[in-house]
Amino acid sequence: MSDFSIVEAQGIRKVFPNMSAPVLDGVSLTVDSGDIVALMGPSGSGKSTLMNILGCLDGPSDGSYSLGGKDVSTLSSRERAWVRLHYIGFVFQSFHLISDHTVLENVTLPLYYAGVDRHEREARAVELIERVGLGHRLNHRPAQLSGGEKQRVAIARAVSGAPRVLLADEPTGALDTKTGNAVMELLLEIHEARALTLIIVTHDPEVAEFCHRKVFLRDGKIVPRGGRHAANA
Amino acid sequence: MPRTRSEVVGRAVRTAIRNPGRTVLTMLGLAIGVGAFLAMVSFGTGARSSVMEQFEILGTRVVYIWTNMNRRDFGGTARPLTDADVDALLRDSMTIERVAPRITEVQNLKSADRTYPTKVTGTSPDFVRIREWPMLMGGMFDETDVRQRAKVAVIGTTVARELFGRLDPVGQTITIGANLPCRIIGVLISKGQQTTGEDMDEIVLIPASTYEAFLGTPIGYHELMVQVRDLSLLETAMVEAVPIMRRSHRLAEIEQDDFRMASPAQAAQLARFVSNILTGLLVGIAAVSLLVGGIGVMNIQLVSVAERTQEIGIRSAIGASPRQILMQFLAEAVVLSFTGSLAGVALGWIASTLVARAMAWSGNLSLLTMAGAALFGTSVGVAFGYLPARRAAQLEPIEALRHE
Repeated sequence: MSDFSIVEAQGIRKVFPNMSAPVLDGVSLTVDSGDIVALMGPSGSGKSTLMNILGCLDGPSDGSYSLGGKDVSTLSSRERAWVRLHYIGFVFQSFHLISDHTVLENVTLPLYYAGVDRHEREARAVELIERVGLGHRLNHRPAQLSGGEKQRVAIARAVSGAPRVLLADEPTGALDTKTGNAVMELLLEIHEARALTLIIVTHDPEVAEFCHRKVFLRDGKIVPRGGRHAANA
Repeated sequence: MPRTRSEVVGRAVRTAIRNPGRTVLTMLGLAIGVGAFLAMVSFGTGARSSVMEQFEILGTRVVYIWTNMNRRDFGGTARPLTDADVDALLRDSMTIERVAPRITEVQNLKSADRTYPTKVTGTSPDFVRIREWPMLMGGMFDETDVRQRAKVAVIGTTVARELFGRLDPVGQTITIGANLPCRIIGVLISKGQQTTGEDMDEIVLIPASTYEAFLGTPIGYHELMVQVRDLSLLETAMVEAVPIMRRSHRLAEIEQDDFRMASPAQAAQLARFVSNILTGLLVGIAAVSLLVGGIGVMNIQLVSVAERTQEIGIRSAIGASPRQILMQFLAEAVVLSFTGSLAGVALGWIASTLVARAMAWSGNLSLLTMAGAALFGTSVGVAFGYLPARRAAQLEPIEALRHE
């Protein structure tokens, strides 16, 4: 495990125009490269907003955020897209596969946007799809897959662009316990094999148990300990 | 950035194929617009050239002078059109090249075994020169025939068929009226039907002198066909001919003209003017339908962007730049507009071919016109596809992802 900080957020505030209280109120978070962090908290605590900012889907209203040593808190939407493409992979609760694309097409998408040529991106995608155990489903559509399979495709897609940070938002939230555990194991495997930094947003304590570190959020602030109530909210 | 443009287009084609309902809906408006546009252009030019053809049958650079002898409102004061008028026009006018008199009445025709009543015309050899009417067989009677009141006739193909069937009519004899036997010396080439339904080939020509001697010309000639040296001299000729005719008829100054004069060329000019306006109008309407087709593309694309908001969010989260999203939707607009326009060209071509066939017009959609319409349709589609594409590109990824 390397020990330099890949994520360094200092005093992040996020204010939405139509809300009186800030959603994030001075959050500071440092994540070392290769770490696995669980981001926990009740709904409305601001954990999704924090994930959006960490994932460069959105910028902070105030505070600084550097990713891999580069300040990314004041980028334009075009520059943020570039950072997402090269540094970040997303796994969502509801999979978010593109429905009229096949498994293979979904997984090649980040490579397509990165300008990798067709031959190479298909070779890399096929390897990944086989890795997540869906080599026999290359040309299936998402609608033809089970929930667990969809999430495996989503994981393959999230890492196909070789990101440094993988952000997973309730990755097991739509799955039954057994499938969920299998997905978590896959995530950990991939984390291990690719030396990724893994940040998992969850309110499931079982999922959090897989992580090296737990960060609790409440009312837009990081609190030292979540306690039982916060974790189960 | 994606490596090649062709790949962006290829993906757009795939999206179009995978969403057939949406694709057809988008293409439909534009296809109808382009089709209507082509059909209107074709109808306009077809109708115009057909009208022009009709006028050309009556002779270009021709002025007609008609007698007023058969008009009651002249109370018997009108003087007949005679050879003296023909001579006066040829002698005194600088602009007139030929004058052919014409008298036409229905007469009974008899061949060896058939009878057929039809219009018989007494005229001069210049008749076929002025009408630019070639012979199918044999020849036209000449000035000597006119001088000698020769009993010869030239007939049209309809008359030939009615009287002789498939036999060669040249050299045969027909009897016109009660007792004028004429030898047929020529058959005129077929000119078919006019739009009025008049059969141009239902014609029998004999020398005017023969007509006068054997059938009688109680009110003189019905008409003088005047050919001007050049089309540009038409107006001058019409101005010039009036005093010549008045002098020839010895009309006093207070008397009004006892003849009428008109030119198909003038009418043709008017017809051309009117049909240009009509064509412009049709094309204008068609352009509006093309515009509506373009707005259709915009609407469906806007709906499509709204429908695919989450997809756009996913692409954006993965790392697609706003420009790549814009290009994706623009490429889809290009593909849909281009295919839609091609379908429109096919529709327009079918419509114009069917109508041209029904109306006996010549096919008139040039490759250039069709290519132009396809290009125009595509540009309209792409122009209207830009707004939805830009809207897609400007979507906030978080908002778009949250969209269900």
